[in-house]
Amino acid sequence: MSYTKPEIIKAHSALAAEFESLTEKKQILRSKTLESLYGALRALPNDQKATYGKELNALKTEIMSWLNKVQDNQEQLPPIDVTAPFDVNTSKDEKQMLLPVTQGSIHPLMTELQYIVDIFGRMGFEAVESRQIDDDYHMFESLNFPEGHPARDDYDTFMTTDGLIAPAHTSTMQNRVLSERKKNLEAGEAIAVVIPDRVFRNEDLDVTHEHTFYQFEGVYVDKNITVGNLIATLKTFMSEYFGQDLKAKIQPFYFPFTEPSFEFAIERPDSLKKGDTEADQWLELLGCGMIHPNVLKAAGIDPTVYTGFAWGCGIERLVMMKNSIEDIRHFESGKLDFLRQFS
Amino acid sequence: MKVSINWAQRYSNVDLSSISTDELLQKIGSQLGAIEEVTYWGPRFDNVVVAHIVSCVQHPDADKLRVCMIDDGGVTPDVERDKDGLVQVVCGAPNAREGILVAWLPPGSTVPSSIDKDPFVLSARELRGVVSNGMLASAHELGISDDHDGILEINAHIAGESHAKPGTPFASLYALDDVIIDCENKMFTHRPDCFGILGVARELAGIMNQKFESPAWYLKPELPDTSKATLALTSKNDIPHKVARFMAQVVENVTVHQSSTGVQAALMRVGSRPINNLVDLTNFYMHLTAQPTHAFDYDKVKELCSGEVSIFPRMAKDGEKLALLNGKTITLTKDDIVIATDTQAIALAGVMGGAETEVDADTKNIIVECANFDMYTIRRTSMRHGLFTDAVTRFNKGQSYRQNPSVLAKMVTEVCEFAGGTAGIVVDSLANEPTESWEPLTVEASFINARLGSDLSVKDIEQLLLNVEFDVTIENDSLTIAAPFWRRDIEVGEDIVEEVGRLYGFDKLPVYLPSRTTKPAPKNAIMEIKRRLRSILSSAGANEVVTYSFVSGSLLTKTGQSTSEAYQLANALSPELEYYRLTLTPSLLQKVSPNIRAGHDAFALFEINKTHVKLHGKDEDELPLELQMTSLVYAANDKSVGKNAGAAYYQAKAYLDYIASKLGVSFTYTPIDKDPNYEVTKPFDYSRSAMVTESVNGTFIGIIGEYTALVRRNFKLPRNSAGFEVGTEGLLECVANPSSYKPLSKYPSISQDMTYQCPEALLYATLEQSLHKAITHESSDHGYDVALLPLDIFQKESATTKNISIRLTLTHNLRTLKTEEVTAFVDAVTSKVEHDLKVTRV
Repeated sequence: MSYTKPEIIKAHSALAAEFESLTEKKQILRSKTLESLYGALRALPNDQKATYGKELNALKTEIMSWLNKVQDNQEQLPPIDVTAPFDVNTSKDEKQMLLPVTQGSIHPLMTELQYIVDIFGRMGFEAVESRQIDDDYHMFESLNFPEGHPARDDYDTFMTTDGLIAPAHTSTMQNRVLSERKKNLEAGEAIAVVIPDRVFRNEDLDVTHEHTFYQFEGVYVDKNITVGNLIATLKTFMSEYFGQDLKAKIQPFYFPFTEPSFEFAIERPDSLKKGDTEADQWLELLGCGMIHPNVLKAAGIDPTVYTGFAWGCGIERLVMMKNSIEDIRHFESGKLDFLRQFS
Repeated sequence: MKVSINWAQRYSNVDLSSISTDELLQKIGSQLGAIEEVTYWGPRFDNVVVAHIVSCVQHPDADKLRVCMIDDGGVTPDVERDKDGLVQVVCGAPNAREGILVAWLPPGSTVPSSIDKDPFVLSARELRGVVSNGMLASAHELGISDDHDGILEINAHIAGESHAKPGTPFASLYALDDVIIDCENKMFTHRPDCFGILGVARELAGIMNQKFESPAWYLKPELPDTSKATLALTSKNDIPHKVARFMAQVVENVTVHQSSTGVQAALMRVGSRPINNLVDLTNFYMHLTAQPTHAFDYDKVKELCSGEVSIFPRMAKDGEKLALLNGKTITLTKDDIVIATDTQAIALAGVMGGAETEVDADTKNIIVECANFDMYTIRRTSMRHGLFTDAVTRFNKGQSYRQNPSVLAKMVTEVCEFAGGTAGIVVDSLANEPTESWEPLTVEASFINARLGSDLSVKDIEQLLLNVEFDVTIENDSLTIAAPFWRRDIEVGEDIVEEVGRLYGFDKLPVYLPSRTTKPAPKNAIMEIKRRLRSILSSAGANEVVTYSFVSGSLLTKTGQSTSEAYQLANALSPELEYYRLTLTPSLLQKVSPNIRAGHDAFALFEINKTHVKLHGKDEDELPLELQMTSLVYAANDKSVGKNAGAAYYQAKAYLDYIASKLGVSFTYTPIDKDPNYEVTKPFDYSRSAMVTESVNGTFIGIIGEYTALVRRNFKLPRNSAGFEVGTEGLLECVANPSSYKPLSKYPSISQDMTYQCPEALLYATLEQSLHKAITHESSDHGYDVALLPLDIFQKESATTKNISIRLTLTHNLRTLKTEEVTAFVDAVTSKVEHDLKVTRV
């Protein structure tokens, strides 16, 4: 930073010389020169305070950087031979470099995603990752959410200063997944894809709400695909997932990118039994529906020939229910006390 | 959206009580949408009965209290009665008097208005020495209106209350024995009609498989007599693209007062606060038809007109001010629609009325406005000004302009009836209303059945649609369907599929898995390598963490990284989450110190995730390139680390080499001679770090090392901290060329240990390379297979040389080796190495 105020320019060089001469470098912060500058600031008329104050702050920052540099030099460790297998004079006992296997763990969310992907893999679905930065076209427009559509209100999206979007659902991949596989579809192969990944919503944190969480999306397109296929596929997955044959039910819902749209609920498995009311009998797990013809069209697929279904489901709630985890914030906390409880 | 079942029943030709409430709720859930909450109103009035005040005398000891003897028809048990069976109640209301019918809350009952907050249970207690058995309630205490001026006087001759006599359960009055169903708004996003109780009543008929008949006044406007109109009103519409229709009608000589208890109670049940008879009517018809309307005070409007009385929609001007009914004054923009006179704006169209033209107790003449505004514009205006009203909720779903004439005509008729006015002049911007319905759709039954998996006949389908008042014509397998005017959501065949599936019942559809080829699903290589890395690292005692993609600017600068390289959020939740992270390492470093404080002495945290750096540019979709990264941080509490453990760097390296060995590859570590200054290298102290490449093809993998003094200080890291950040895709690329297998020899091998005294600065890798070169040179004629194993590196304090010990193991595939030849070989190799490097074997 170049200073313009004469008194600051003068103080700058005085301070630099003083710093040079000091043995206890931190004393520079108590320098009379610096102190008098602050005194002068207080004495200035209000309209001049801003520019003067800005330069004074810059000077302070510069002094801090001198101090940091000195401290860095003091704390700098000597170079090492980075090509060696171990350090000089390492004792024989210390050459066992890895931590005991008993301490290691895979994150429970990743374990769950893998478990889910494995089941869908056995059902013939390939897995695709989602993106962490996307654009309006993939997040909304290609999914039949026109600009200004009230359905957009349900997605509290984060936007970047350059107009990009932190995807609020894994559906942001639908258009890509569909258009990339259009050829296979026309060659007689169904599109069967699951997309497990991270999504973001502009929501305040509490024990059940995270701004960053995981979903898995599913897409299936072929000729003659029906609502019954959708229900059967999800019911089959859930039964395998919970290790028990479960009843399913669907409730009409609205999403712009599916028509008809549903909320899908599964009978509570024995391991998660709750009370006796009708509501207690069901676990509402996900949103789904038959892919809207406009979404197929946007991917270049003829909706009069092909039909399909899609769904999206959160992961955290499943993992929390299975393990009785009380606070969703533990997942991204990096606490070893939490992580090491999982294998 | 709160739906009153009694209200729906009042406007339905179908008997909603023909099935039980539970059955009805279940049907709504599976055929209309999820219910958020069900409120049973009847039980709120348990034990509350209609009573007749037989006598009312002044309390002997309190000016404001009166002692009433009431007749409850003798229905209430366990209460103290006089010889005539009357009950004594003390009451403070000024309107308590002999002869009126009131609501009595006997001892043991709960004050209805307190039920949702802090239930107040009544008892028989003395008030200034006189026993009061419970209380006589105001409408406010009963929770059926805001009126707390006195006790509720039940007007026996008003319709619906005619059966009121002492002992009648209070819940049977004013349709209070009601069930309020709060339907999730989200599922009606595309159903503007279902934001009105009439629309929901129609759906209920449809899912009960019965034909709904809309009230005649709704299908065709029943115009009130305007022959006595005296007041003038004109209008215009210069923005038909924003305001599809603008209608308004004057009502003259109205009287403003409170609405009847029944109307107030109905509004209260659906969550609307009663105001006065005129405003209540606009709210009542909004809840009924989903069409918001607004009443202006005609005379106040006239004051604001420079000439003839005229109101019309227009776009606001930037900076124009408008005082709203909620007491706030907002600054408008040119994207807001307003209702205006020729001098100023008087209402924020579709959102809220203006304060200056508000209907009040002195209002004599009104203008009822009933219009249709562009849903997108209303939504943006609502967001811009932070105004979320019931009108917005309805307009932003896209109401039909075709219901404007019916609703306006009905409203005006009701105003005349309940506020005693006469209908005045009407203005309508859409003089030539199109008479045809929406563009009809032609759909084959086979199209519907193919998507539902059903086997419905054209006749079945027709009936389902007729029940909710679609127009249907059948020709062979095909149906030509015209949606009724209130349905704006029927655009494509799939919308009919939804309609038919829902009305038929999705739960009746056959459920079967799709059939497909046995071709295996392709595997995802990047996900596969991530899975392997997780398993490798966790088996080496490391813990996987998952941390936020968003970090603070200060986290970046604390690491020496540049915020200008990071994608920034425009609407971050907090400064803590303002930037996309540039690399994973800082997120991991943040987790070190808290875990040490939590008592963990040594650990390795790793994360496999994505990062974004502007420098890396965009992909073919013009989107930021996403980098797949794997990062690990090893840290050990300095107090727990042995004196001779060596630098933490070698711990991190052990992890990376372990990955390499498990992936079947090997890595080369190259010292860094000057600050590389990449975002990924910035946290690392380059003099204690190495660039990592795959040994055979030289694929770049990443950086490994210890952290700069600044980073250690800023993150409170122990000195024993080190880690790496490597590209996951780089690792994947290496695995594509795994090292090859060597057959095992049948003959024993012989080992010899060698120690070389080397200059302090000699890199281990230099010695190793020299050895390899010499070994290759010397073994080529003999067919030896040679393996090297580092044993020790030793340096005396203040010495300028170090001793490196290496075990050399020789094997031959075809014969047993002799000790002498091994010694000779080692000597030859040594002399070559000693010649190449300034080292001596000791």
